[in-house]
Amino acid sequence: MRRNFTPNQTLIDRLLLNDTTAIEELSRRYCYSLYSYCMSKLNSIEDSKRIARNIFIDLWENRDTLPLNFSISVHLYTEVRKAVVQCINVRLNKDINIPAIEKQVIPGFSIIELQKARQPIHNISREESKYPTSIVKKRRYEEQWWNKYATIHIKELKHTLQKMLNFW
Amino acid sequence: MTTEVLRKKTGRYLCGLSMPAEKKQMQNWLSCTGDNKPAVSTKERELIEDEIVAQVQAYVASSLFFPKQEPWWRKITASF
Repeated sequence: MRRNFTPNQTLIDRLLLNDTTAIEELSRRYCYSLYSYCMSKLNSIEDSKRIARNIFIDLWENRDTLPLNFSISVHLYTEVRKAVVQCINVRLNKDINIPAIEKQVIPGFSIIELQKARQPIHNISREESKYPTSIVKKRRYEEQWWNKYATIHIKELKHTLQKMLNFW
Repeated sequence: MTTEVLRKKTGRYLCGLSMPAEKKQMQNWLSCTGDNKPAVSTKERELIEDEIVAQVQAYVASSLFFPKQEPWWRKITASF
C-alpha cells in the first residue's frame, strides 16, 4: 500500500487549488474511522458508507468557504456525530427499520450505558506515563537505596560529631 | 425510552432546541464507543476504504467536469 505523509494542513490548502488528489488522500486517511463509528452507532453498512462519503463530498463542495483555523479532525468529529443523529431521526420519521432501532439504539441510552462515557481518567504520574514500567521500578529502587544509605551515613556522622563535642 | 421519545429528542437536538440535560444525554451516547465495533480484517477494511474513496473520486471528478456557476460575490471580488 502506497503511503502519503503530507501533513493535513497542506492537503487542505491544496483543496483550494482544486487538487483532487488532496481530497482523495484525506478520504483515504479518515474514511474508515468514520465508517466504523457509524457502524457502531447505526449497524447499517449502507448508511455508514453513505455518511462517510457525504462528509468528504461536502468538504469538497465547501472548500472555498473553509475558515482560516480549519481543523479536519474537529470538522469530521462534529459532522459524523450530526450525521448519525440525523440518520436516526430520518429513520424514525419515515418508520424505517424501527425494530432494529428499538433493539440496538435505545438500550444505549440507559444510565448504565451512558456512564461509560464518564469513566474517570486514571491518575498516572508524569514519570510513569513517560517511561516504561521497568525503568520506573528500577529508578524507584535506586532512589529508595540512596535514601536508606544516605540517612544511615548522616546519622552516623551526627553521632560521631556529638561524641567529639562531648569529648572536648 | 420509546421510539417516539427518541424521535422527539433527536429532532430537538438537530434543531438546537434541546434542554441542556437532553443535550448532555445525546452527547454522552455519541461518545460511548468501543463495545459493539465490528471486527473487520485488513482485507475487508481495505475494500471498504477503496469503495468509499472511489465514490468520492467519482463525485469530485464529475464536479470538475461540470463546474458550478461562480457565485456573485466572487465575480465582484474578481472585478476589483
